Amino acid sequence: MSTEQAEGLRRLGLLASALAGRTLEVAAGAPAERAWTDGRIIFLDPDADTDGQLQALAVQASLLAAGSLDLTVIRRLARRPALASRYLAVEGFRALAANENLLPPVVRVLLDGEVAPRTDSAAASLAVALSREALAEPPAVFGAIRARKLLASKDRDRKSRSASEHVARRQPDRGLAELDDDNAVDGADVWSSPVGGRGGLGRLLQQMLGVVRRLGESGPPGADAPTHLRRFSPRHGGSAVVSKPMVAASGGIVGEAGGTTYPEWDVYRRGYRPNWCTVHEVSPPTGDVSPALWSSRNLLRPLARLGLGLDRYRRQAQGDDIDIDAAVEERVELLARSAPDEAVYLDNLRRRRDVAVLLLLDVSGSAAEPGASGQTVHAQQRAAAAALTSALHDLGDRVALYAFHSQGRAAVHLIPVKRFDDDLDAAAMRRLGGLVPGAYSRLGAAIRHGAAVLENRAGTPRRLLVVISDGLAYDHGYERSYGAADARRALAEARYRGIGCLCLTVGAGTNVDDLRRVFGSAAHATIPRPEQLSRVIGPLLRSALGSAELRRRVA
Amino acid sequence: MRKMRGTRPYYVPLGDEEQVFKAAYRQGLSIMLKGPTGCGKTRFVQAMAHDLDRPLITVACHDDLTTADLVGRFLLRGGDTEWVDGPLTRAVREGAICYLDEVVEARQDTTVVLHPLADHRRQLPIERLGVTLEAHPGFCLVVSYNPGYQSILKDLKDSTRQRMVAIEFGFPAPEVEEKIVAHESGIDHDKAVQLVRLGHAIRRLEIAGLREVASTRVLVAAGQLIAEGLSPREAARAAVAGPLTDDSAVTSGLLEMIDVYLTDESR
Repeated sequence: MSTEQAEGLRRLGLLASALAGRTLEVAAGAPAERAWTDGRIIFLDPDADTDGQLQALAVQASLLAAGSLDLTVIRRLARRPALASRYLAVEGFRALAANENLLPPVVRVLLDGEVAPRTDSAAASLAVALSREALAEPPAVFGAIRARKLLASKDRDRKSRSASEHVARRQPDRGLAELDDDNAVDGADVWSSPVGGRGGLGRLLQQMLGVVRRLGESGPPGADAPTHLRRFSPRHGGSAVVSKPMVAASGGIVGEAGGTTYPEWDVYRRGYRPNWCTVHEVSPPTGDVSPALWSSRNLLRPLARLGLGLDRYRRQAQGDDIDIDAAVEERVELLARSAPDEAVYLDNLRRRRDVAVLLLLDVSGSAAEPGASGQTVHAQQRAAAAALTSALHDLGDRVALYAFHSQGRAAVHLIPVKRFDDDLDAAAMRRLGGLVPGAYSRLGAAIRHGAAVLENRAGTPRRLLVVISDGLAYDHGYERSYGAADARRALAEARYRGIGCLCLTVGAGTNVDDLRRVFGSAAHATIPRPEQLSRVIGPLLRSALGSAELRRRVA
Repeated sequence: MRKMRGTRPYYVPLGDEEQVFKAAYRQGLSIMLKGPTGCGKTRFVQAMAHDLDRPLITVACHDDLTTADLVGRFLLRGGDTEWVDGPLTRAVREGAICYLDEVVEARQDTTVVLHPLADHRRQLPIERLGVTLEAHPGFCLVVSYNPGYQSILKDLKDSTRQRMVAIEFGFPAPEVEEKIVAHESGIDHDKAVQLVRLGHAIRRLEIAGLREVASTRVLVAAGQLIAEGLSPREAARAAVAGPLTDDSAVTSGLLEMIDVYLTDESR
């Protein structure tokens, strides 16, 4: 079968979803085989003519929509193909008739000339099929019901659903829910270190030093980013947390083989190993399925508040109030017969969003383990990454998503699922769906590369690095304590360069002490299920941005 | 002295919304219209304003709508300041129906100004002038909002909502919608039936990349293009598929649906 044919069938997925009232895909079955469905995919005969394909698709989708393929019925049809065929002959017409308002013209001909459907429910159709009454064979376009495939697929669905519906015994931390509010900045901050950024001491420092962020009223993005170190700045004390000089080359060196090399922190020698790791950006495998999309909508609210304060702008051409100073000047200039500036109003304007976020998704082998709630850690991390990416994208932030795993220091692979300039479309979601966890995770190198990408491509003054990982940093020559020290170091470097860091552990059972060892003073949170992300993400991001802000200012 | 009343804007009632609106209006209650984009909320208000014979002042709310934009502000004219009424103040003075379209889009500090106006007080305090206006008996506050994706970002405060009578809107049933599309665009009934069927199919999709569904407005626009002589498929591509999504995979799926649902027999 040609790829054109496959593409043509895939395009019918939307039609199938509309008719069935749920998300379906369409794929090619074996040639000359009757159409059938497993509840998620409708398989069509690739060699049938277009009308035939459409009719078969409509029948199968309508069966799903009308509840004809519900578990109770299908169980009775398993291993009884003759009964399934009799059932289809009766139920097919009922399902089509139930969907009549939605059927396109080419399918409606199936109903023409046919008397009203003889049954009004799936159970009644089954009763007719079980009776001894003589029934005509179902038309060929009705396809077939494959009870066992349906059962197998429903089984799978149920398992994953029951996993996601699992109710945590302990109520999620109340403190988190309360923090998710406007006054979160004033509340207790449980994640960040007491000295850095938004911690208690950090806030005190901030108040004492009067560090107030003020974005210029105009100018290109990044115009207010510091361009050089101000060594003599009186605010330098704020960076005293970082005691070791940072490697200048942490931006990465592009090697001759195309990879980028980064140094690595050797905790035992207390020094860097220059050009130690080689990072390659490898193109992602394209998967067939997009990951089950867990709605990102409840993430929008906490994220939308991020960095969108109101500011009072003076000397505007229009506004709520009169700017007295400007008005007086205007009168003076007018009386002095020089050209007055007519911008004499005060306006409250919302600052433009100026945040870029890069998400690093750990796809090492450890993520394939089943997590606390039954689903694999990978599936949960992926859901969280997808939700965060689409929420930030919808809000108009610049966002990129990279997955990473490694196989020794020469082969740290970063897989761009969505670069900053890529569109977040179905293809990106398929790339995300195609990720398969494997190999190890050299966390430090991945973080350094992520930070470098953020610096070079983000194009905004405020930058955030979000690491979604189970916190098990392990690779060849990168055992636990060494890896943890390097990852911690890499995060500190990123923060030092004004990039806010945030670590999320979704569904993994890693204990808190281990996580603290890896993530250091970076804001981090462990959530049992991706759905709980919305409770913690607002304060977490704010805290990460805040600490980076302070660092950026003093650097 | 009121100008001649024109013809009533075309509106087909779906339930008891007209009675509810008029009852609330007579009692001086404020009204909240809930429903998806393009289902006829604005047209409904126009029809009601016509029936009640009140002028209608519409404000499309947006992110940066401030209190001053609604209430009014001082402007400089030469050396003097001059107060200019905002649309809300004008409606309160004249006794017009003030329709705030997509009110959740407005900032929360802005919607608070509606509070004394929306409840039994029916007053509009104007802080900068130091006066409190009593609303004209004919004044009525109507807000609309779409409980779809906007309200996730910003929701109406409970205190604002409580001051309103809510009327819920949905897309009309197929037979009604066929009538509406045929009437508004002037195409024949068969073509309207096809368009509406396509619209209903698209509304069943819940997929990423499709923010809004094919609303009645979108279908009417497609009908209007057909009335201008475009083929149904061309019209639907331009009026339905194009505006709904930029995602190429979704677009190709939509085009496929358009080809399946609409026939180009006339060409």
